[in-house]
This record gives sequence, structure tokens and C-alpha cells, in this order.
Amino acid sequence: MMGRLAIVLIGAVIGAVIVLAGPQVVSDFWVFVFIEMLVFGLYAVTFNLLLGYGGMLAFGHAVFFGVGAYALAILMKRAGLDVVSATVLAPFVSASAGAVIGYFCIRLSGIYLGMLTFAFQMLTYTIVLKSYDFAGGDDGISGLKVSGFAGTPCGFYYVTLAVVALSLFALWRLVHSPFGLALRAQRGNARRSMALGINVALHRWLTFIIAAFFAGLAGALFALANQSVFPGWLNWTATATPIVMTILGGMHSFVGPIVGSIIYVLLQTWLTGLTEYWALFLGTGIILIIMLLPNGVMGLWRSRKS
Amino acid sequence: MDLLSSFDWLLNPVVLTRQFMAGLANGMLLFLVAAGLSLIFGVSRVINFAHGAVFMLGAYIAFTIVSFAGSSIPAFFAALVLATCGTFLFGAAFEMLCLRRIYRSPQAFQLLITFGMVLVLGDAVRLIWGREENSIAVPEGLDGIVRPFGVSFPVYRLALIGVGVVICYGLWYLLYRNRWGMLVRAATVDREMLQALGVDVRRIYTLVFGLGTGLAGFAGALAAPIVSIGPGLHAEVLIDAFVVVVIGGMGSLPGALAGALLVGQANAFGTLIFPSFAIVVPFIVMIVLLIARPWGLLGKPE
Repeated sequence: MMGRLAIVLIGAVIGAVIVLAGPQVVSDFWVFVFIEMLVFGLYAVTFNLLLGYGGMLAFGHAVFFGVGAYALAILMKRAGLDVVSATVLAPFVSASAGAVIGYFCIRLSGIYLGMLTFAFQMLTYTIVLKSYDFAGGDDGISGLKVSGFAGTPCGFYYVTLAVVALSLFALWRLVHSPFGLALRAQRGNARRSMALGINVALHRWLTFIIAAFFAGLAGALFALANQSVFPGWLNWTATATPIVMTILGGMHSFVGPIVGSIIYVLLQTWLTGLTEYWALFLGTGIILIIMLLPNGVMGLWRSRKS
Repeated sequence: MDLLSSFDWLLNPVVLTRQFMAGLANGMLLFLVAAGLSLIFGVSRVINFAHGAVFMLGAYIAFTIVSFAGSSIPAFFAALVLATCGTFLFGAAFEMLCLRRIYRSPQAFQLLITFGMVLVLGDAVRLIWGREENSIAVPEGLDGIVRPFGVSFPVYRLALIGVGVVICYGLWYLLYRNRWGMLVRAATVDREMLQALGVDVRRIYTLVFGLGTGLAGFAGALAAPIVSIGPGLHAEVLIDAFVVVVIGGMGSLPGALAGALLVGQANAFGTLIFPSFAIVVPFIVMIVLLIARPWGLLGKPE
């Protein structure tokens, strides 16, 4: 027991040192990789809020990430807003999209819910692709410059770290609140939850809005990190990213998707540097992981614990 | 007046017939892909994201055979057979080695494993055939143009429609007039009951997955002379097939036919009516149907 506690403590200290001091010593390329891990960690947690806690497989979840990113870009480039206001407003735009899309999705179950989110994602994608004047078409929108302290890669990393940490803390509080318990209860048995007086539809809807809010925030941060947005973030191939991260880390724990995001980003960075055919290895990896590690990395950790 | 003049094709029977026939040919091709997708979903509840990639594989196999053996009708026929058998075996093997182990896992897993296969197939195709776009000629003897009633129309597309009708009839016979088909339909309703009755359900799952991917590969080979064969071929086909399956009802074969014919016509006429917005229409239809009638036009509510 002491051994395990010691491992966790040492791990936490090493983790904290890497997270806080790491970007000071590595190159800008790796700072960007760090930022990517943070942003996709938050993104994957919002996906798992719907899947792991709410029991809703929203495989068009990329729509919220994309809407957040495009909202930021359009607010900055078309409406002329400054970076801070655009970043603050973008998640509200994606939350509104979540309200509309979620309103229709929560009535459906299983694969139909997933298909509907996917249809919304593809609709948004085609609109973005066709609208050159407003959304930049297949070129996307570039030149999203950040100035001041956050203008350097390192500065932007710390800002992202603070925003993501605060968001994760808020989401952690949410899933451990009575709201989170009710959400998990309806996942287990919707009818019984209703009989207990839980407003299942409202819980599911609010979850959609909250997940869309933070996914949009992740999208906006990623747009700033890249200084541009691309329609590919909304295409059907972008669907898999949060699902892979969630399953890789484990959908039955809060930190699972974050762990999954770290592993996924590291793996992708390593493979893209190694070979042109990285997707071949990534795909093989996905297939193997699903067959060999059904509960994800965190599941492995837990089964060793017991 | 400009508005009217831009719509004067509406009164032109030649244009109308030509668009209708083109839509029919594409609809038939789409049916072959969507039927497999729908069949697989109906039996195993798996949404096969790799279905478009298998279509692409079929097209590439046809490309290879035709580049070696020339574009005579027998050579093309051999290409069709080999593409169908190859993709059938591929699908059956994928089901036996990967999918079979995870039917009891959450749906996200099944989705993801087929997605992993999309990545693998996409890169495998680049590795084997390269990144460039390829094309093959329409088989000799089918490359002409016929002019019934003054409407000129490529013979190959007429042949496509004919083949589509034949396959459609074959599938109907296989599933609705045949003992094996009866078992497949029973498996879509109640897998456990069928197993309890002593039927080897696992084999049905494997064969249905193989049949579905075989149909996609066949469609890919059939489409090879009229599409650009490149590594991006799978995306559009997959999305179109998704739309068709949702419109018709997931798991419903008659629904897949109705949906495919509808989407074929919508693509043919949509580009004439509102060129810039035609590609948005399928998704709007998909959304409206999922909201109002999630089980599709011809499916049954669960």
C-alpha cells in the first residue's frame, strides 16, 4: 500500500516538474507538442463526458471543436475582435451549437444519436468548405496572431496550461457533483432514473451544452496554437481523434482520456517523424489496442491495483 | 426572365432523360455499396467505416487486372470477379480476426476498429499503388454511345443499370427466397434465439460481413472505368452510403435501394437546380430524417 502511494507521489512530482518546467528546456516544436497534448486532453475529456458519464456516443463530436475554432477565427478576422474577447466568446458559440444539436440528439439512443451528431458535423464541414468569403473554404483562415506574453510558444503554453487546468477542474467538480451522479444513473438505467425524479432529458441536454462549451474552448486554443483553422478539423476523419484518445486511456475514469491524449499525441509525433506511412501504423495500433486493451491504459493500471 | 431561362432545361425532355439516366446509374452503384453497409449493420450492429475503403480496394484491384490484361470484356469480367472475391475474403478475415472478439464491447470500440482499418487500407493503397490518380478505359464493346429517342447515353452506364438490377434481384433472392437468407434475417431480429436453435451464428456473421465487403469491392471494380482511382476515392463513397442507409433505414435492404435511387437522382438534379448547395442537401435530409424518423423511410422502429 505504501509502495503504491509512493509511486503515485513520485509520479505526481515528476509530472508536475515536466508540466511546469518542461517547456523551458525543450525546443519550440516540443512546446507545440505539449500544447497539443493539453488541448486534446481537454477535448477528449469532453467527449468522455458524453460517452463515459452520459452514455452518449456522439461520434460527430468534432463539430463542437471545429465550431469553437472557426468561431474564434471568424470573430477575430471578420468581426475584428481582439484575441481575448474572441477566445472568451468562441466557447459560447460552440455551446449554442451544442444546445441546438443536443436538443435533437438527446431524444435518440445508441447509434442513431451518433449518426445525427455525425450528420451535423458533415453539414458544418460542407458549409465551411463552400463558404470561401466567410469561412475561407478549403484554405481555412490563417493569421490568428497572439501578441504579448502569450505570443511566444512558451507563454502560450502557460496560458493554455492554466485554461485547461481550470476547465478540467470545473469538469471534475461537475462529474463528482449530484449532477454527475444523476448523469451516470441515467446512463445505467434511464427509466429507473426517471422514476426517481431525475429529469433525464434535461441532464442529457445540459451535458451536451457543457461538453460543447469546453470542446469549443479546446478548438479555439488549438486554432491559436496553429495561428490558423482548417476545414479538415471538421471532416469525417477528425471524428476518430477524441474516440481513440478516450478508448486508449480508458473511458471509465476521468483522467483516462487525458492519458490517452498524451500517448496518442506522442505516438503521432513520433510516427510522423519516422515514416510517411504513419497512418498505417496508427491504424494497426488502434486495432491492436482495441483487441488487447479493452479497458484502456487506465484499466490496466486498475486491474494491477486490485 | 434570367431566372426562367436558366431553368428552361425543365421543359427539355432530352436533358431531363439524360439526367435521370445518369442518376439511375449512380444510384445503382450506390445501392451496391449501401446494401452491404446496411446488411452488416442489420446483422452485427456495426457501422463499417471501412466500407468506402473496401470500395476503393475493389477499384484498385480492377485497375491492376485491367492494366495487365487489357480492357477487353473478358479481362474486365475477370477483374470484377477477382475484386469481389478479394474483398469478400478480406472482409471475412477482418470479421474473424478482429470484429468477432468485440461484439460484446461498447459500440465505440466497433466503430473505432473499422476506423483503424480505414487508416490501414488508406496507407496500404498508397504504399502499393502510389499517390497518383489512375484511370482505366471502359471495356471495349461497352464504350459506345446509344441514342434512343435522340437522347445520347453511354452504353457503359446502361450496363451499370442492368448489372444493378440483376444484383438487386440476386440479393432479394438470396435473402428472401432462400434458407440461408432466412437465417440472416433471423439473426438481425434475435441472435440469441437463433443460436439456441442450433444455428452457427458466428458463421453467419462472418459470411454477411464478407458479403457486404464483397458487394462494396464489386461496386468499386464496376465504378473503376468511370471514376478517378486515387487514395481519396473512399471518402465520398462512404459518406454517400451513410446518407443512403440513414434515409432508407439502417438494416433495411429495400430501404437501401429506395435511398440509393433517391440520392442518385438528388445528385443528378441537385447540381442543376442549385449547383453550389447541392452537396449540403444530403446532410440536411439525413438530419431531418434522423430527427423525425430515425429508423428511416422503410425501416422499422426498434
